Amino acid sequence: MMAESDEVGVSEASWPYWTRSLWINLLRIGVVGGFFLLWEMAAGRWIEPFLISSPSRIFSSFIANIQSGTLIGHTWVTLQEIGIGFPLGAISGISAGYLFGRSRTLAEIFEPIIIALYGVPRTALAPLFIVWLGIGIWSKVGVVLLLTFFLNFFNTYAGMKQMDREYIDLARLMGAKGHTLTFRVILPAVSPYIFTGLKTSIPFSVIVAVVGEFIASTEGIGFFIRLSAGIFRTADVFVGIIVLMSMVIFMNTIAGLIERRVLQWQTQTEHVRIQG
Amino acid sequence: MQEPEGKRSEQTITREAAEQPESSEHLVIQVENVSKVFHTRKQGRMVALEDLTLGVPYGKFVTVVGPSGCGKSTLLKLIAGLIPVSAGRILYQGVEVRGLSTKVGYVPQESKLFPWLTLEENVGFGLESRNYTRQERERRVRDYIKLAGLTGFEKHYPAQLSGGMSKRASIIRALAYDPPVILMDEPFGPLDAQTRMILQDELLKIWKKRQQTILFVTHDLVEAVALADRVVVMSHRPGRIKDILEVPMARPRNIFEIHRQDGFEETYAHLWSIFRHELEIKFEEEDPEVE
Ligand SMILES: Nc1ncnc2c1ncn2[C@@H]1O[C@H](COP(=O)(O)OP(=O)(O)OP(=O)(O)O)[C@@H](O)[C@H]1O
Ligand SMILES: [Mg+2]
Repeated sequence: MMAESDEVGVSEASWPYWTRSLWINLLRIGVVGGFFLLWEMAAGRWIEPFLISSPSRIFSSFIANIQSGTLIGHTWVTLQEIGIGFPLGAISGISAGYLFGRSRTLAEIFEPIIIALYGVPRTALAPLFIVWLGIGIWSKVGVVLLLTFFLNFFNTYAGMKQMDREYIDLARLMGAKGHTLTFRVILPAVSPYIFTGLKTSIPFSVIVAVVGEFIASTEGIGFFIRLSAGIFRTADVFVGIIVLMSMVIFMNTIAGLIERRVLQWQTQTEHVRIQG
Repeated sequence: MQEPEGKRSEQTITREAAEQPESSEHLVIQVENVSKVFHTRKQGRMVALEDLTLGVPYGKFVTVVGPSGCGKSTLLKLIAGLIPVSAGRILYQGVEVRGLSTKVGYVPQESKLFPWLTLEENVGFGLESRNYTRQERERRVRDYIKLAGLTGFEKHYPAQLSGGMSKRASIIRALAYDPPVILMDEPFGPLDAQTRMILQDELLKIWKKRQQTILFVTHDLVEAVALADRVVVMSHRPGRIKDILEVPMARPRNIFEIHRQDGFEETYAHLWSIFRHELEIKFEEEDPEVE
């Protein structure tokens, strides 16, 4: 039924908005719930539980891990690595992209160097950072920072190159300089690109932090997952994965909220649908 | 506006004659032997303007017409200092323009409102970096928005405005901070006939109040005559000044019945005779097989 109305499009529009969104939510819950039910049934019946665990086992090990305090400790460590590395990388990346976009000389000198550096596989840098910064959180902060820097740098720089220069010229004709020019004209003009950079670097920053922890660490969610997998505590592995997923979802939500505020000049018109 | 009476009676004067009676003191903008050459990778050298000389007197409404691609936009950009001249020089109040000139307002061919600012922020943008008090700024923004008939849309973003509304907004954005000279590049180009006339009428009223100098590019000969004290005709490639006509019509003018006004038909006919010749040259150049 849904597929049909999706194709026709007209009958869809005649539905009150809330009825449609209610249906979509119900169906979504149904799909996810069905999946968990099937998983629960399959575990121990058709597939070995140590391979896929089961929702009920994951839930009880989640509770147990929280009660013992281990999960909170590991989560806190990973959060710190991302919480320090991500903002530093994002701010420096956006600033560098902005500066390169403003100064042709800077761009000419450093652009090839940065592109060459970016060509180095990022995960291969993790061991190097561990050698330099030890197995504590700072080596992971380092890799998160580096990756976030690159992603934000490239997106901001691309935005600076593609933005309509005429806006800058017009603003300068109207007397804008320095601070006004940067914050009222240039950064807003490239803000869609900046947000693309921020949003793509969110999942990647979590990935590299965990990869860093896989390689060498004594704490963090990555360490927790690796340890649990080593002793076939599959339920704990899933608990770790769920924590990582929650982190990404949380960061995406925050980024989405900020984006909607900052880019409201773009999104406000979206209500007008030509579809009718 | 405050020109001597004698001049009104002269119907049209040639380029040489137009330059003589004005001493350079009356000119706010002087374009002296300016050439502009673009270097492109594919076509190589492209002479957009060649040895162009033009004076714009204080307080006048000067329109510029010419075939498409003759360098009208280029001329405005040179005067605004958006692009450098290849040869010659441009003076603003007797001082050579080097780099962007913050003394002129510029209304680009497309509206180019800042999409991330609301209508009132756009209109007030030029006031921000000048010495206006907050109240003064707000008052001016409100007045101009009212003048342009945009009251009620202050908080709207450009994407939520119609084409005509954006055009009006783009014009008052340039007027609001009172630059002594305003350059307008086909500001009413893509609008329908009625909206166009209404805006032309409004523009003339604003101009009368403010006494600013306006250099106005258009491809519409009726518009060129209806608005101007003086019409500059440019020739096709390389862009040069072909002729300059004085428009002897009295002000205030009734834009909506401009054809009936004394002096319109004669000036228009004269302008058309010059322009037609220009178009013929252009067609022969581009399509030599058509006899
Ligand atoms: N940035 C540029 N690079 C190369 N060539 C250019 C550039 N800007 C303009 N030109 C060329 O200069 C010539 C004059 O262009 P311009 O935009 O001034 O014409 P115009 O008279 O404003 O035309 P229209 O009435 O169509 O707007 C054109 O042939 C155009 O191709
Ligand atoms: Mg043009």
